[in-house]
Amino acid sequence: MTDTTEQATLADPTTAEVFETVSTMLKDILAEAEVDDVEITMDSGITEDLELESIDLVTLASRLAERYGEQVNLAEFLAEMELDEIISLTVGSLVRYVVSSL
Amino acid sequence: MSFLDANGTRIHYQRSGPDDDRGAPVVVFVHGLAVDNLASLYLWMAAPAAAEGFDAVFYDLRGHGRSGRPETGYALTDFTTDLHALLDGLDIERPVHLVGSSFGGTIAFEYAARHPEHVASVVSIDSGPATERWATLTRYALQQLVDSAVERLAVETPQEMYAGIAAAEGLHTAKKFKSAYKVLTSAPILEEMFAGPFLPVERIATIDCPVLSIVGSSGVHQDDPRGLERLLPDCTTEIVSGGGHYLLTEQPHAIRDTVLGWVADRETAEARAA
Repeated sequence: MTDTTEQATLADPTTAEVFETVSTMLKDILAEAEVDDVEITMDSGITEDLELESIDLVTLASRLAERYGEQVNLAEFLAEMELDEIISLTVGSLVRYVVSSL
Repeated sequence: MSFLDANGTRIHYQRSGPDDDRGAPVVVFVHGLAVDNLASLYLWMAAPAAAEGFDAVFYDLRGHGRSGRPETGYALTDFTTDLHALLDGLDIERPVHLVGSSFGGTIAFEYAARHPEHVASVVSIDSGPATERWATLTRYALQQLVDSAVERLAVETPQEMYAGIAAAEGLHTAKKFKSAYKVLTSAPILEEMFAGPFLPVERIATIDCPVLSIVGSSGVHQDDPRGLERLLPDCTTEIVSGGGHYLLTEQPHAIRDTVLGWVADRETAEARAA
């Protein structure tokens, strides 16, 4: 049986590295909101599972730009989406965006 | 993330724009009350505004988002003083375009009336200047929200309450509710904001910069969508058919195009006049 979850894409080393970085950033952001011990996978929904607020995405955008440079422009990626699409984003979709920008 | 001490409060702001932003038009985005923070404007406006060549500034109002939450100081003038201090702290001297959503528009009008020399134009997104009517309606809506939360929390946990709202009205509404409840119960906004006195209508009518009033056909101005045109000397109204009060989250791309296109046109008109 083929594993179709996003988690399976971590076989790619760049994706795995970006996933680690994004997970650490998200855990830091959640810890600042006093949310600890969150399990993050590629399939985690940023709103439904992690309960990230939209302002957390603004912080994530800043930290990604600091880490990877201006070519990773999360604000640009999100600006084309409708609210529902932003709410239903997964960690995997953020990771894929970062990988595609590098 | 950037912070600046303005008017005694730590203000969180984001600035995006061309690398050399000297001479670029400055657009300051001001968010709404209690349910909102800079993210709603930043998510849809930051990248497109920068692409348009604007020096775009987004900030969290006091008591909101990642800005400081002083124990007192939530009258409307505290918010306009913050904006003045923010522009000063960022060394912005040229007149700015103010884009305000809901209460952010109210701040923009108040600021334009008090500091006309600092304002190039105002874009109001389902908003208007502070009046007795505004105070009554806004206070009532926010008080209803707090009261309904207090009622529910008497019989359920916060988690159950938010899950219930999310199930009935969606995650986004639940989040807005959560944000508003937190803001309104941790800062004396309801007590201080609506006490007035407010600027007299004659003073509001002196706002002579170009104004774009974007209103939802089902928004707060549904009974009189062009009211601001009668009050202000240079006001254009754009009625969004089917739009409610939260135009930005309802129709983000249409609102973005309207706002940024209008500001770009004002800059072109000004350059031509000069």
